Amino acid sequence: MKKRFVSLMMAGALTATALVGCGSSSGSGSDASSDSGKKDENPTAKAVDASKEGDNELSVYAWDAGFNIPALKAAEKAYQKKNPDFKLNIVETADSTEVQNRIILAGNAGDYSTLPDITLFQDHGIHQYTTNYPDVWKSVGDKDGEWDQFSQEKLSYSTINKKHYGYPVDNGAVIFAYRTDILEQCGYTMDDVTGITWDQWLEVGKTVHEKTGKYLLSMDNSGNDLPYMMLQAEGISQFKDGKASLTKNDKIEKIFEVLQKAKDNGSLLLCNSWSDYTDQSIQGDQVAGVMNGNWIIPTMQKVKENSGKWAITTLPTLSGEEGYASNGGSSLYITAACKGKKADLAKDFLHYTFGGGDGAVETYDAALTEGGVISTFAPAGKSDVYSKGVEFFENQPIYQTIVEYGTHVKEVEQSDYHYDLRTNVNTAITNLTQKDKSKRPTVKDALKEAEETTNAKMEADGQ
Amino acid sequence: MTKVKKNKSAIQRRLIPSYIFLIIISFISVFPFYWMISAATNRTLDVARGKLTFGNYAVENFNKLVSQTPLWKALGNSFYYAALQTILVLFICSLAGYGFELYHDKWKDRLFAVLLLAMMIPQVATMIPLFKMMSSWGLLNNVWAFVLPAISTPFMIMLFRQNSRNFPIDIMEAARIDGLSEIGIFFKIYMPVMKSTYAAAAVVAFMNAWNSYMWPKVVMFSTDSQTMPMLISTLASGYTVDYGVLMMGVLFCSLPTMIIFFILQKSFAEGISGSVK
Amino acid sequence: MNNMGINIQKKQQRAGWFFLAPAALLIFVMNFYPMFQAFMMSLKTGVGKNMHFTTVPFFNYTRMFSDKIFKQSIGNTFFYLIIQVPVMLILAILLAQILNNKDLKFRGLFRTMVFLPCATSLVSYSLIFKSLFATRGLMNEIFIKLGIFKDYYNFLGDPWSAKIIIIIALLWRWTGYNMVFYLAGLQNIEYSVYEAAKIDGANGWKTFWHITVPLLKPTIIMTFIMSINGTLQLFDESVNLTNGGPANTSITMSHYIYNNSFSGTNVPNFGYASAMSFFVFILVGILAFINLKVGDSRD
Repeated sequence: MKKRFVSLMMAGALTATALVGCGSSSGSGSDASSDSGKKDENPTAKAVDASKEGDNELSVYAWDAGFNIPALKAAEKAYQKKNPDFKLNIVETADSTEVQNRIILAGNAGDYSTLPDITLFQDHGIHQYTTNYPDVWKSVGDKDGEWDQFSQEKLSYSTINKKHYGYPVDNGAVIFAYRTDILEQCGYTMDDVTGITWDQWLEVGKTVHEKTGKYLLSMDNSGNDLPYMMLQAEGISQFKDGKASLTKNDKIEKIFEVLQKAKDNGSLLLCNSWSDYTDQSIQGDQVAGVMNGNWIIPTMQKVKENSGKWAITTLPTLSGEEGYASNGGSSLYITAACKGKKADLAKDFLHYTFGGGDGAVETYDAALTEGGVISTFAPAGKSDVYSKGVEFFENQPIYQTIVEYGTHVKEVEQSDYHYDLRTNVNTAITNLTQKDKSKRPTVKDALKEAEETTNAKMEADGQ
Repeated sequence: MTKVKKNKSAIQRRLIPSYIFLIIISFISVFPFYWMISAATNRTLDVARGKLTFGNYAVENFNKLVSQTPLWKALGNSFYYAALQTILVLFICSLAGYGFELYHDKWKDRLFAVLLLAMMIPQVATMIPLFKMMSSWGLLNNVWAFVLPAISTPFMIMLFRQNSRNFPIDIMEAARIDGLSEIGIFFKIYMPVMKSTYAAAAVVAFMNAWNSYMWPKVVMFSTDSQTMPMLISTLASGYTVDYGVLMMGVLFCSLPTMIIFFILQKSFAEGISGSVK
Repeated sequence: MNNMGINIQKKQQRAGWFFLAPAALLIFVMNFYPMFQAFMMSLKTGVGKNMHFTTVPFFNYTRMFSDKIFKQSIGNTFFYLIIQVPVMLILAILLAQILNNKDLKFRGLFRTMVFLPCATSLVSYSLIFKSLFATRGLMNEIFIKLGIFKDYYNFLGDPWSAKIIIIIALLWRWTGYNMVFYLAGLQNIEYSVYEAAKIDGANGWKTFWHITVPLLKPTIIMTFIMSINGTLQLFDESVNLTNGGPANTSITMSHYIYNNSFSGTNVPNFGYASAMSFFVFILVGILAFINLKVGDSRD
């Protein structure tokens, strides 16, 4: 009996190599190469069940219950003034990745009817996705938004081939927030950390760590955005002419040297994951400084004991000028699943609220108070809500300041391979900052490796 | 040495190292569960800082979980999908195991060997083609998209096939003489006799269905159709995670499979034992 | 008479085909057909609208051997395989052997506790281990209180300890599962065989090696193949515990394949991902074959 079982399993394994043949016999006669998507006109099950959805109802994918979702709720409320029966059906996804995966799946199945009417989408990913799945989103006309009232850097993401696709939600402007009480304890003021060089910053960081044990900066090590922000403040992209380019610019090398020194002298804490970054380093009160897109503010505010002890300023740069950058915003896009009258409704809704229409100031004001979402819409920035002092930040009118920061951000070359490069840069940083210094590569070699890995992928994908 | 019978205390004394070893292993096995339960009663900061003792926040965490997430809906979905899948797996795979073993011939054995190959197919590889298939059949967010790919698995067929070896063939002949049809033999004789195998298979099938995550995430994406593992992974991947609430969710996700195992564990051991002969 | 007997037998054989048809059909439609489609996809590159056959045929298959990260993921996966599978199976046999002793008290209780971990979902147990081994997590607190560590240690941030944690998590989750199979196998061995061995003067180790192991051989081979298969397709632990990090030092093959298809951020390439899946598939097949060969030759 045992023998038979063994020989049976063996026969199974033997046939392993013959799998391809066996697979083809079962698959013959059917169209197996239809990956590029033959259009299926049969409407299939909908993500949000269209059958139940009324004519005056729109569905939307969004993530982050503490941030984007309150903003959408604010928009729904604002639009109900114009259209009282309107209903917005918000489907919360785990994260931005889930929205992207839904697009991939629908795109590969060649059937967009599974998507909701509107999706929120990451600014850095949108170009790549519109290249690969050109029919997923509908472009909107010039008259569908008050485009000249928005930050141009922000619009550069959602404008594809000179056509507008998305309605901007949040402002990704980067802030550098410091704990003023800790700075004071170490003999510094906010002026001492504003408009300084990274070398000066390293000195401050060292003192702070020696005196208080806190880190002046922390970052998620699995999706490292630090170099992107630091380089944008210098006006430099990690891409040139569509290719990863890290080795041809001395400034890039210098930035990575700063990171290495910061890790070594106790200025920088690298966390294992995003949740460690937000939960352990920021909420766990391990840091005296936070540098990220301003959407990080609601996370900081969770530590109520530290209210009134924070202040914000600009980024240090290599030259000592004040640095401005933008990171990780998102915009709203209308999908191909939204057809006919629904499409008009969606456009009207988005124009009225996020697109700068009559309800925009109300939407953005409520989005700010409910979710801490800061817009790039200039008239909103002038409203009372924006100019109010914020208690958490020593009554600084931070929202107004952030909108102003946003206007200074320089546009830099973007790439579909933004996140691929980020992954490889993360490897470089990990190798450059590993404990055993004898195993560390030189900065040049580490950057070369990241550049080559990214470009090799680009090239191979194009084969 | 030839004295076979020893007094009981001497035997127990010799077993002391075994007991110590088992206690250590059991402690390691159970400790994370204790940690999960205690974490569910604590605030997020206490959990993050590794507090070991029970706290007073169980009710608050539970209320938050219920108000922030569709907990009952997800539990209901998970039960529905897992129950349906388990019943279908048991029926289809036992029928196949019965067919493969008790009616076996050269060609059936060959087919079985080919089917075993399906065990080695990485899930990631077939995800896109399968999604396309489900999408074109209009089954997305439908329970059938959840269960169809998981009903027939080589492992389950094998389990039933191996266990069928102990099935007394004489009874089949007798039943045939009594005029019972082949399918009648399956329902009236095979199923009752193979009770414990069914119990073992039910445990494994239910656990697989309840715990499956990657595939449901692809096809059951609407809020109304999500399952418990999806619910807790959403809780875990939020921009700020409340660990107390999360662990409460994990607790709710783990309890049903544990209960099922406790109920069926005796038959489980018996059922598995037939398969390894 | 004779003719009729053949007819009946034929009828019975046909009935057998009917019984196994639904299961077989489902496997063909739900496993083999998608696999064939995946194979067609593995000859292509690009995404969505830009998907096309590679200019060099089978380019995706040659590509993986110059892909540093994929090579690293193979190394990592084999590291897990070589360390975890033997340790787990030996531990499982040992536990089964102890628990099979009829003189042992509380057998049911011990058995239940050892088996309990595999009742948790993969998502849950990854979360539990992640918070246990967090830098400020419970394990660190315990080690510091005991004076073993001086400072918080970042378990998941170091290439070696990250891999070890994954192995510990795997051992925790799967040892009890395999133990049940061995226990079942042992229960089929007649107790008299052991009695006889004792009379012959064999000690515990000898009995184990000369009686238990040979009799358990089919079970050992089955669990070995299941474990090899599971480890080579290891995914959840790498994603949820370490996210493949630091610097890809703990990434597994399936995780890298996933990153090339569903990471959401990196540019996906389903063709390449499918090609790598086929590599994994063939690898599992080869290892299973070797395993059976080795298992057989000792007969």
